[in-house]
Amino acid sequence: METLELKEIQRLEGHTDRVWSLAWNPATGHNGVPLLFASCSGDKTVRIWEQNLSSGLWSTKAVLDEPHTRTVRSCAWSPSGKLLATASFDATTAIWENVGGDYECVSTLEGHEHEVKSVSWNASGNLLATCSRDKSVWIWEVLPGNEFECVSVLQGHTQDVKMVKWHPTMDILFSCSYDNTIKVWADEGDSDDWQCVQTIGEPNNGHTSTVWALSFNANGDKMVTCSDDLTLKIWESENIGMQSGGGFRPWRHLCTLSGYHDRTIFSVHWSREGIFASGAADDAIRLFVDDNESQVGGPLYKLLLKKEKAHDMDINSVQWSPGEKPLLASASDDGTIKVWELVSQR
Amino acid sequence: MSEKFSAALRIGDLNDFIAPSQACIVSLKGLKPNANKPDKSEVSVGRNKQVQSEPVKISLKDCLACSGCVTSAETVMLEKQSLDEFLSNISKGKAVIMSVSPQSRASLAAHFGISPLQVFKKLTRFFKSLGVKAIFDTSCSRDLTLIESCMEFMSRYKQSHLVDDEKSNSSLPMITSACPGWICYAEKQLGSFVLPNISKVKSPQQTIGAIIKHYLCQDMGLRPEEIYHVTVMPCYDKKLEAARDDFVFRPESHDEGSGNEDNVMTEVDSVLTTGEVLELIQLKEVDFESLEESSLDRPLTNISEEGYLYGVRGSSGGYADTIFRYAAKTLFGREIVGPLNFRNIRNPDFQEVTLEVEGKTVLRFALCYGFRNLQNVVRKLKTGKCDYHFLEIMACPSGCLNGGGQIKPNKGQSPKELSQLLETIYMDNVRVAEPFDNPVVRGLYDKWLEQPGSDKAKRHLHTQYHPVEKSITSQLHNW
Repeated sequence: METLELKEIQRLEGHTDRVWSLAWNPATGHNGVPLLFASCSGDKTVRIWEQNLSSGLWSTKAVLDEPHTRTVRSCAWSPSGKLLATASFDATTAIWENVGGDYECVSTLEGHEHEVKSVSWNASGNLLATCSRDKSVWIWEVLPGNEFECVSVLQGHTQDVKMVKWHPTMDILFSCSYDNTIKVWADEGDSDDWQCVQTIGEPNNGHTSTVWALSFNANGDKMVTCSDDLTLKIWESENIGMQSGGGFRPWRHLCTLSGYHDRTIFSVHWSREGIFASGAADDAIRLFVDDNESQVGGPLYKLLLKKEKAHDMDINSVQWSPGEKPLLASASDDGTIKVWELVSQR
Repeated sequence: MSEKFSAALRIGDLNDFIAPSQACIVSLKGLKPNANKPDKSEVSVGRNKQVQSEPVKISLKDCLACSGCVTSAETVMLEKQSLDEFLSNISKGKAVIMSVSPQSRASLAAHFGISPLQVFKKLTRFFKSLGVKAIFDTSCSRDLTLIESCMEFMSRYKQSHLVDDEKSNSSLPMITSACPGWICYAEKQLGSFVLPNISKVKSPQQTIGAIIKHYLCQDMGLRPEEIYHVTVMPCYDKKLEAARDDFVFRPESHDEGSGNEDNVMTEVDSVLTTGEVLELIQLKEVDFESLEESSLDRPLTNISEEGYLYGVRGSSGGYADTIFRYAAKTLFGREIVGPLNFRNIRNPDFQEVTLEVEGKTVLRFALCYGFRNLQNVVRKLKTGKCDYHFLEIMACPSGCLNGGGQIKPNKGQSPKELSQLLETIYMDNVRVAEPFDNPVVRGLYDKWLEQPGSDKAKRHLHTQYHPVEKSITSQLHNW
């Protein structure tokens, strides 16, 4: 009988403080381009890591130690992989461009009053969203010449906003917060500004504590969210991809995965192959998949495996790589990043 | 923090993720309880044990001086500038004078389905029945503000042409000062780099306050301290403006009382929002639509001999409109008749008007409403890429007619529909008139201020801005 295991490929050291987040460059891992990702840390730096094609091992390609003056909380690559956005507790978001292997800071986005917690590019790379402890969500438009213009400042959350994430195919923005809700933002109707089109909170089977992260499946018709309430929740929406004329379709609760975690779940990421990984304060990584044999009314997803002691401390971020055979990377309070491969054992 | 404040204030000041009790430097206990729950130590705050104790009183001035939250200020303001306070001052026998903004008139007109002039006459009847002594019109003092702003623009324009180095030139663009949300944001968040660009001229609210307390009171046979001056505004942030230290004075004639805290006067004692006035009408169970129309108090009201209201174009005060016309005429000899050709840039809340002379753009003015557009202008200013001569900045999207203190849309009415209706109603039966032709304003210059831009005008009608230093506490919380 086949069993699956998460095999540690490498443990990456370099950051001198907790690692908050990491992001795979989507333009790497195919056509012979070596895989590459960025990680960011409480040490105020961003590190770029690249895989050596022959050895398969990882090394630091660059360290971006300016201009952030405080913790770098989150990072995100533009869809083309050319630009990297980094969000910092110094209340700014920096935009980096890869110029012949060197990373140049080409723009700094100011405006948030407090720590910027998360940053996300939309599918076409012409919009950027940021969110902050100041409870606001900002949308920026990317103009030629690395100019950025503020398109909207959205105030709806009543507490610290933990994460913003664009839908993988449509220009709909999702945010999740310390106020326990997930909000959905769209630019539609007769208003000339973005607005909140749905709030998913406790009354709609939502989370009962901080929502830390969210991720979409490959189609974009399902979303998984993770929370301090120790649950993962799956949401679905109809007619994704038929945006024109159809108007916004609200997201519905599909199921709740409870009982698997006993500490806060900080990160969740859905692979294109349909496996979603969670990273939690119990130092473990868990993988979940569709449960094909599920009874009617039973849970629709099952635990595929649990990697105990994946790190020595809290796991802040888990991310699947692009490419044919996805790898999983995890970032932890222990200051390290680990790269994992899902292998089968007989 | 209350939704009533403009977005600029809500963004700029809120520091109360950690709950006001912790963010506030004045009181460290006894305020609102915080729904504290375990959170990743992203924020360096120990969990507060809830201590039961007497709430500590914080004055509005404490709050304004602090770079922390304004959540507490809201509570203080509600006490100091409330309907109760208003009614109690009438019953105390104060000479209550009201100054009503044209935006508030429009909002009430839309709500009751009558004209702004009818609203004004009915409001006059209503307030007088409560014991108010006189009701004036801030579009009148606004004309004075606009004339002084024209003078300031001319002097800034000339100064900018004396300075060669464009980057270090802080005289242009000139930025409006009438929006208190913007001023508060600029002082607390942007600090010294933008403050020199902000017009020194007081807002219409503070201008009418200065006229009443420094000049008109004598005509009315009153001492300033006998007057309780209340404005009716479309905007909650105007309460903060009224409470600024810059608008406090001591009456000149009472030397013996100097040094006495009680002898400190404010130009505007209280601000009621349009919504609060509607609340008062409902509270008094008055049938407003059928209320008799009273004649208007003329000394500070834009009402013509024939009984028409008059004023400038532009529902957020017409600053860009008026100064553009004046500059085009004075600097380039171009008299512009009819509405200016404002063009949308990106969205309807960012509009631009330019003057071309011999194929060269010589004047570039913009209206910039709402927080997102404000951000982009600030970004341009910071990077030295702002090529405007004048910016009319208002924190609210759609400008002052859409202020946080206005009456909310009726059921079934979208905010956009209401906003369009208000734009129409605002100039409904209001004659467009040049501020320089205003007979009331001419009278004020003749009898009191001498001439536009005079030292006396500057003394009474100009103000200052102060960057707010980040307090140590707020920086700690910002760790």
